[in-house]
Amino acid sequence: MYLTVRNATKTYGTFTALDDVSISIEQGEFVCLLGPSGCGKTTLLRLIAGLTDLDAGEICLENETLSALPARKRGFGIVFQSYSLFPNMTVAENIGYGLKIRHVPADKIAARVRELLELIKLPYLADNLPGQLSGGQQQRIALARAIAVDPRVLLLDEPLSALDAKVRADLRSEIRQLQRALGIPTLMVTHDQEEALALADKIICMNHGTVVQAGSPEELYHRPATRFVADFMGISNLIGTAVIRDVQPDLLSNRPDGTDDAYVACIRPEQIALTPDNNGPATVRSIGFLGNLRRIDLDSPFGPLVVETHGSIDCREGQSVQLTITPEACTWVANDDAGGAA
Amino acid sequence: MTGAAQTARVASRSPRIDGDRLLTLVCVGLPLIGLLLFFLYPMAIVFLRSLTTADGSYGLGNYAEVLGSSGFWRATRHSLIMGGATTVLSVVLGFVIAHGLYRCAFRGKRVIRAVIVLPLLAPSLVQALGLIFLLGRNGLMNRFFGLEIEIYGFWGLLFANTLYALPQAVMIIGAALVLLDARTYEAAEVIGATPARQFRDLTLPAARFGILNAAFVTFTITITDFGNAAVIGGDYSVLATEIYSQVIGQRNFNMGAVVGIMLLLPTVLSYYIERQAMKRQQGQQATNAQPFVPLFAALRDLPMAGLCLAICAAIGAVIGIVVYASFVRLWPYNLSLTPRHYDITLAGGYSSLWITILISLMAAAGGTLAVFLLGIGLRRLPRALMQPIQLLAAMPAAVPGMVLGLAYILTFNSTATPLYLLYGTAALIAIVNFYHYHTQAFLTVMTGFRQLPPALEEAAGSLGAGMGRIAVNIIAPFVAPMLVSVFFFLFMRSMVTLSAVVFLTTPHLSVAAVTIMRLDDAGLTSQAAAFSTCVMGVVCIALLGMKALLAYLGRRSAREKAD
Repeated sequence: MYLTVRNATKTYGTFTALDDVSISIEQGEFVCLLGPSGCGKTTLLRLIAGLTDLDAGEICLENETLSALPARKRGFGIVFQSYSLFPNMTVAENIGYGLKIRHVPADKIAARVRELLELIKLPYLADNLPGQLSGGQQQRIALARAIAVDPRVLLLDEPLSALDAKVRADLRSEIRQLQRALGIPTLMVTHDQEEALALADKIICMNHGTVVQAGSPEELYHRPATRFVADFMGISNLIGTAVIRDVQPDLLSNRPDGTDDAYVACIRPEQIALTPDNNGPATVRSIGFLGNLRRIDLDSPFGPLVVETHGSIDCREGQSVQLTITPEACTWVANDDAGGAA
Repeated sequence: MTGAAQTARVASRSPRIDGDRLLTLVCVGLPLIGLLLFFLYPMAIVFLRSLTTADGSYGLGNYAEVLGSSGFWRATRHSLIMGGATTVLSVVLGFVIAHGLYRCAFRGKRVIRAVIVLPLLAPSLVQALGLIFLLGRNGLMNRFFGLEIEIYGFWGLLFANTLYALPQAVMIIGAALVLLDARTYEAAEVIGATPARQFRDLTLPAARFGILNAAFVTFTITITDFGNAAVIGGDYSVLATEIYSQVIGQRNFNMGAVVGIMLLLPTVLSYYIERQAMKRQQGQQATNAQPFVPLFAALRDLPMAGLCLAICAAIGAVIGIVVYASFVRLWPYNLSLTPRHYDITLAGGYSSLWITILISLMAAAGGTLAVFLLGIGLRRLPRALMQPIQLLAAMPAAVPGMVLGLAYILTFNSTATPLYLLYGTAALIAIVNFYHYHTQAFLTVMTGFRQLPPALEEAAGSLGAGMGRIAVNIIAPFVAPMLVSVFFFLFMRSMVTLSAVVFLTTPHLSVAAVTIMRLDDAGLTSQAAAFSTCVMGVVCIALLGMKALLAYLGRRSAREKAD
């Protein structure tokens, strides 16, 4: 374990932002804290950065306890959603600021700044002031500023949220490449599951100040532990136990023991196969064309279902279809979010 | 562009365009005529009079005479030294307080905020009065500690001016400090910058334009202020008192005009630089900024809190002692309390207070309407026309009150034009007050208009609403808080201003600030204090009224948003 947080708790008045949270990051790992707003992910990042104090718990880097260390002595790098470049310094001065504080000789700083500007592909902006630059440029510079000092951990607080879709996609892959190339252990906060799936080695999914599930993107997507994770990580069909028992009892084979309410079946839309069949039990309600795939809404014995297929399929709205769902496609998830249609 | 296209389309079907044109013409025309008649024309007159020699011909004779007199150079030197010293002192103290308010964590900031605006609620000579009660020959300090402090002259004037300029310095520097948001500091913190470095590398550069701006504003306030110089300046003559003695003392209007023009030069220059600095600062404004919430740091916050409290205590003491002294039977020998000084024995008694309230209401109501109309009209004008009018509307702030007042007496006390009818009326004093503070009122309303989404107006226009209806139904409610601020700003400034009106009062028509000066001149210092207290009372009530009204408007718009 490189960075560990053990039993972190933080309350603001009566609101519990973090409730006994433990996480860890390995050397060189890219970890995403994922969750809806107010789930405590940003609080956790700020605790690790040292910008907020812990109420209880412990933060360790390798074998050193960080809890009492002020933010400026932790040797981390941080990038905020709002860029937060120093408005009175040029791009080069911004990037070199951390080195200047560490009393690195001016020629070494200049060389390092040049190297980083090449790395973020903005070498011609060295002497501009941040106010003159676009959001994407500013965020690249903020990233360069954070990694200039070879931080022990890189912290990213929703770095892409303020950017346009195209810029966001570009910067997303650049962040990934940089992190891979430099091997800096990185913790990124995001509420965008797609971003987390694309970037992370490990996703820590949070809700209501607790960790709901931590694991690889594949694990979280294909084997969500709870209904909340299944719902948050993309589209899923969530079907109650009683319905499954009535319609297709063989899907119960891998269901853990428990009351009917304790678990619901989660079936991803791309794992349902459709065949047009005039005697089929399900009916196509609508078809959405999404370019590389089609999203089909069905009325079925399971209730409303969403199915996604690649390529063309010969069906129209109102058409009857046959469904094929294998037991492997069905994941049983804990029903943590009681209520709502199942 | 879409708006113009729509207007054109509507025009082809209905005669509305003519109504809108006419309304635009009225909206821009009336305030513009006002500006020309009551600002530009008097300023031209004062300029001409400065060139009019004793025998009635034009020439630079007056200038030669003024520039050749040692009195003028002494006053200029004094004004510059006083302006410089006050600027340094009030910017340093203003920075301390602004930094305390926005970058430090301690309790009692509300008190500091409240005390710091006190000098704005009183005529400028109240600071001088307070200092005399505290440090003068019969002041508390000399009396109880057996000191021999001589307060009249440089030091007294320096302190009085500093107290007067400090609120503005705090507001301007504070506005610059809040530009840097919390995330910027956190980024510096994580990078490894110590608090001292963050102050040096972030706070100071961010405050640079604010400090520069504050310096120019305080310099201008100081060299143009008349009240403090008149009461506590003693033999330390400055340009403002020099104009007064030329005009009122020696009835030498043309020479007064020359000194006025001389006073105009540095203020115009300083105003121009200040506007440039403001533009630079606005360019830096960050979007979606997170306000900085300082955490308690004993080493920084305890000394800062102490300093801020000490400065506020000084302000509070100077203003408070005026209120206290107004109730003291015989200052400083018999400190028992009595309301007898509130029985004003000077001819006219309280009539000047009532007339000042009336004048202030007129200036506030007429002025708010005028800048509102101008704001609406300017939105409809092509850029080429709009910019010169905007420039003209922003000009009065560069003109010292003394110079404007002098321009008015030269213009309106001359029987050459029918404008003479205005001379000696309350209306003229209301007008001079409005044009004295025209720039601030105009800029406030324009700020309000800038926040109005253009789509709102276009939507209403495309639904067929004419310009008048749009103004009443869409624009007025949106800019209502600005209009309230402008109304009360004009009212409060009109209540306390002295420099512009000092030339326009007549034996039959005086205003509150002039009455205070006359009471003090007559040696009735306790009555001057009592009268000052009454004026401050009226202004405080107005301030509370404004706050209540703004809070009401804020609640109402919050409710509308929630619905």
